[in-house]
Amino acid sequence: MNEKKHSIKSDFSMLAILIIPIAVAVNFVGGQLASLLKLPMYLDTIGTIFAGMLCGPWVGAVAGGLTNVVTGIANPVNFAFIPVNILAGLVTGFLSRGKMFSTWWKWLISMVLMAFVSIASSAPIVVLVYGGVTGSGTSLITAAAMAAGANIWAAVIGTEGIWTVVDRVISFLIGYLVIRVIPARTLVKFGCGENYIKKPAKTGK
Amino acid sequence: MGVVIEFKNVTYSYPLTDEPVIRDMSFTLEGGKFYGVIGENGSGKTTLCSLIRGFAPSFYKGELQGQVLVDGKPTVDYGPGELSLKIGYVFQNPFNQISGVKDTLFEEVAFGLENFGVPPEEIEERVVEVMKMTNILQLAEKNPFELSGGQMQRVALASVIVLKPDILVIDEPTSQLDPEGTESVFKIIEEMKKEKKTVILVEHKIDLVAEYADEVLVLKDGRLIRKDATAKVLTDMSLEKEGVQLPQMAILGNRLVESGVPLRYIPVTEAQACEVIGEAIRKGGK
Amino acid sequence: MWREKLQLHKTNPIAALYPSCKFLILCLYAVCSFVLGSIGVGEGDYPLFLIPWFFVVPILSAASGVWKRFVHAFRAVLFIAALILVVQALLIPSEKVVWQLGFLRIYQAGLKSGLSLSFSILNIAGMFVWLFQTTENKEFTRALEDSGMNYKAAYVFISSLQMIDVLGKNSRTIMNAQRARGVETEGNMIVRAKAFFPSLVPLIVGAITSSEERVLTLESKGFDVNGPKTSLFELKKSGKEPLAGGIAIVVTLAVIVGRIVVWVL
Repeated sequence: MNEKKHSIKSDFSMLAILIIPIAVAVNFVGGQLASLLKLPMYLDTIGTIFAGMLCGPWVGAVAGGLTNVVTGIANPVNFAFIPVNILAGLVTGFLSRGKMFSTWWKWLISMVLMAFVSIASSAPIVVLVYGGVTGSGTSLITAAAMAAGANIWAAVIGTEGIWTVVDRVISFLIGYLVIRVIPARTLVKFGCGENYIKKPAKTGK
Repeated sequence: MGVVIEFKNVTYSYPLTDEPVIRDMSFTLEGGKFYGVIGENGSGKTTLCSLIRGFAPSFYKGELQGQVLVDGKPTVDYGPGELSLKIGYVFQNPFNQISGVKDTLFEEVAFGLENFGVPPEEIEERVVEVMKMTNILQLAEKNPFELSGGQMQRVALASVIVLKPDILVIDEPTSQLDPEGTESVFKIIEEMKKEKKTVILVEHKIDLVAEYADEVLVLKDGRLIRKDATAKVLTDMSLEKEGVQLPQMAILGNRLVESGVPLRYIPVTEAQACEVIGEAIRKGGK
Repeated sequence: MWREKLQLHKTNPIAALYPSCKFLILCLYAVCSFVLGSIGVGEGDYPLFLIPWFFVVPILSAASGVWKRFVHAFRAVLFIAALILVVQALLIPSEKVVWQLGFLRIYQAGLKSGLSLSFSILNIAGMFVWLFQTTENKEFTRALEDSGMNYKAAYVFISSLQMIDVLGKNSRTIMNAQRARGVETEGNMIVRAKAFFPSLVPLIVGAITSSEERVLTLESKGFDVNGPKTSLFELKKSGKEPLAGGIAIVVTLAVIVGRIVVWVL
């Protein structure tokens, strides 16, 4: 098959449109579950990540942005993080399109890249809008680091950074497990689904 | 009424598979008739429905050879949404048949009519009528996500009937229902038949097919092995060897004939059995 | 009579304003907040005008008849704002110490940025809370659709809200089932992190595979049909929009003029 053409409009197939609400809800439920299990991470980009993986960057971006719009209805503080989640969807989608989830070392590179992007995009918001603390569990550590004399940027990037990496590793692992379980006949219907189907070894039946 | 659906040498396979699920199928369906589709699991019944509705190949992709014509026009030539006005499709799993955006059942049933731009006054009239007919009006203010399987199935049927399509394709509408609920669903389908709609029904409960269908299509391994009037197909004992489950009454009738009881014809429904066996007994009694 | 039941009947005139009018008020309020926040008061250049200005938010919410819901939703914002104020004031060091108690020192620069950040958040987020507590989700989508937003976008928005409910319930069911099967949800962090997977993966897979049939459902019901759609739910303007918008504009102009006057003097 020759290179597939992508247009933003064709990215938003009916199936992709229906994946967005699921992604938003999974982001939400993931975050809830993480706090229920008292994990020190947000784990609230899992939906964005699999939306990007399956349907490409634009669908991922919409899923990400919409998540913070929807959670912002309950707590408007989340509005400030809209760009972070949009960026997460975009980057995952482009990585997926570039077939960066085909081998384990590509996965590793993708995870590191994603962690880097999310730290780089969230740190300025945490520092400039929230003065370093967002009320999450890690805020305490950040505050402690600042009290110990660390510069606010160093404190935020240092503490949020570690957990962001762990967060992304877990999120991608879930994305990977999900995609492995989805049957191939379902995967083919997604824009980027073909990238995850093991080349059908032509069984001479 | 003339032919509304025609299959011309249709062979279809899903993507990523080597084996076709439908093989070289040709037949015609006439308007205003009630067709029962039977066959073992995996014989291609659901795929047949998707082909009629055009979801195969438009949504499922895969490879289609031959032609599926609806009102003389190939399904692949219809524009998006065009077929939804002609063909109402109720599929198996009732839980996935809600829109996911409505808070009440009333609005859920109205969803399709809103999409077609029907004026609100008319929507209300039609929705109330259909909800009465399907016996769900008392649930009108409930949340669609909080219903039982049986209620869901009736909602699925109602939200398609309300669109008043000429053709109804119904894939096992009673899997979640008890015998009473099943009977009531069949009453609704019969009502559709009275309104001169073409009904194509996939159903395992053979006794109900025997009672309601005009014609029966028998599928096996993706092939159409029989298509004829209900009484003819369901009394054909050779089909038992093909794994087709025949109605108890037909089996009983055949046994009686074999053992020398003279029946005027082989019954397929209870009512017919009562009639012919009664006749035979009265004759024998004399 | 069924259609009548689906409509909203708001008695409070502020809550009954059309969503776009409320949004205009919110935007103008944010503009005022920035303008007022730029006025430095006293030795430390503190943005003190933001504090009295903030009282507009609870007063407006009370006047809109949503006081209880407002308080409930606003607590999270209040918590973060307070946290920011404390952390900034105590931990951003500068030469000037405003106040000292033992080892605790409030620095001037920290107090200034803390006040500025926390009260900006209180003002703007507070106004959003007011908007969302006085407006129902279906009002937003209706208003957006009426103003030309694509019906698919509207669908995605509403469906997301419903899906959160549905998947939330399902996740609790799955988690309880996993617990019953012996998956541990308590213990050290690795154990808890492990419990995360079996709770979430089946949930996602189930949702994705069922979306296939959902596509067919929507197509069967003419979601894709070209042409105008109708809606059982109607959104009407209350008629007070010009008045409310007018007041907001006048107040904003007054604030801007006031700022310029302070500047010139």
